Amino acid sequence: MSFLTVDRLNQVYTDVYTNEHTVAIDDVSFTIPAGEFVSLIGPSGCGKTTVLNIVAGFVEATGGAVQLEGVPVAGPGPDRGVVFQDFALFPWKTVLANVAFGLKMNGVGKAERQATAQEMIDLVGLSGFERKFPHELSGGMRQRAAVARVLATEPSIMLMDEPFASVDAQTRRVLQQEVLRIWDLRRTTVLFVTHDVDEAVFMSDRVIVLSTRPSQVQADIRIPIERPRSWTDMHTNEDFVSIRRELMGMLGVEGAEVAP
Amino acid sequence: MTMTHKIRTRARVESAAWFLSPFVVLLAAWLVAIPALDVSPRTFPSAPAVWSALVDQTAAGELIPHVLSSLGRVFLGAGIAVAVGVPAGLLMGMSAALSTFFSPLLRFSVALAGIAWIPLATLWLGYGNGAVVFVVFNAVFFAIVYNSMLGVRQTGTSLLRAARSLGASRWQMFWEVYLPGALPNIVTGLRVGLGFAWRGLIAAEIIATSTGLGYTLFLARQYYETDVIILMMILIGVLWLVMDRLLLAPFERRTIQRWSGERKARA
Repeated sequence: MSFLTVDRLNQVYTDVYTNEHTVAIDDVSFTIPAGEFVSLIGPSGCGKTTVLNIVAGFVEATGGAVQLEGVPVAGPGPDRGVVFQDFALFPWKTVLANVAFGLKMNGVGKAERQATAQEMIDLVGLSGFERKFPHELSGGMRQRAAVARVLATEPSIMLMDEPFASVDAQTRRVLQQEVLRIWDLRRTTVLFVTHDVDEAVFMSDRVIVLSTRPSQVQADIRIPIERPRSWTDMHTNEDFVSIRRELMGMLGVEGAEVAP
Repeated sequence: MTMTHKIRTRARVESAAWFLSPFVVLLAAWLVAIPALDVSPRTFPSAPAVWSALVDQTAAGELIPHVLSSLGRVFLGAGIAVAVGVPAGLLMGMSAALSTFFSPLLRFSVALAGIAWIPLATLWLGYGNGAVVFVVFNAVFFAIVYNSMLGVRQTGTSLLRAARSLGASRWQMFWEVYLPGALPNIVTGLRVGLGFAWRGLIAAEIIATSTGLGYTLFLARQYYETDVIILMMILIGVLWLVMDRLLLAPFERRTIQRWSGERKARA
């Protein structure tokens, strides 16, 4: 059953001064079945974040359609939880209030939403930081809080827009494993945008490669690596190494070696 | 805990001392200069003369009512300006159509806010509290509206997107996102606005009433009481500083600084 359907998406920008048209997204179609973890990669400027923004309902496509569980997407909504690159936590709310925000917006009572928020905070490993404000947390902890905030509303799909791009390399590895651990427990459908090939292969069931602008789907590759996955043995995993090489080739990064 | 508390107290005392130091220097210069240059009290009063004016006025029971009526007008006028101006500014920030429509009007009004309205205020509301409060309101209103609008504009796109994708309605966006997001700018607007408020107050009191610090200040001119004039000027300055330091600064500390972790440079 296809859960998310992205059908012949097309995005054209018109320059208001020159009246020139730029085709950002030419024709992008793919589907994601329920429970699958799918990454969207491609060269920078290929419009992968635009695709995510259209699915999220932040941006209206000039052509094509997005359906979630058969219902056309119109505007943002809590059925599609978004994790942002810059965390997008409310600086005036504590971690607990941030995580409970979606529930509050949807009319859940105080006691219940705090209990759910607490559960999510424990799940992402932020116990003890409930009363802290976002600025008091490290980048990695902020992104954990943002993930908890999205999970709390139990979205049908989680949209992650380069979620680990603003944290340091070591924290990124830890978070990648953490998100997979949490995903294993809940199996929420995920659309994950990244420019990091290693990350895409490590995290995903499938990697969709977009071509340069005007973008089309260049490849759709299944990742057969067994779960649970861990970085410790990934670089010796044959599937990982060969898929990674294939993707690097597609993106024009020839001869790149696996980082230690 | 006690250690950090001690350090913090010491830092506070130190910053207060630095804050007061130019006033102490000014006072010393004043004490020395007036007798040394043999300045006539009609031109400028000596510091002891101002002090005795303060003692006399307090003893006569005149000072406190003037202070209270001025303070009351500032609070009432500024309060109404906040109550009306913050929602108006936030709505303008939320709606491109509203802000496009009203922005030219807002800019037009900057030079006219406050004092220029005194003639109309007295025509409409007569001489008395109403006209003065209106002028104070008018002086604060535009600064509040403008800064509230700016605050909304400066709230990050991803914060707005996050809130909307988490299911916030327009009403919830207003209370939960735009208002707290704009709070730093609203406080700035309030600071700027209160400065205008005092200026508007003085001018309006000179013309429109028979109580208040501005009225007393101007009345003293008729009798060449420069000591009273200077006393009123000092009082107005002190009241403004006390309001700023005791009301706005702690509010900023408890909200904006707590959220951002920054210690903003004090204006």
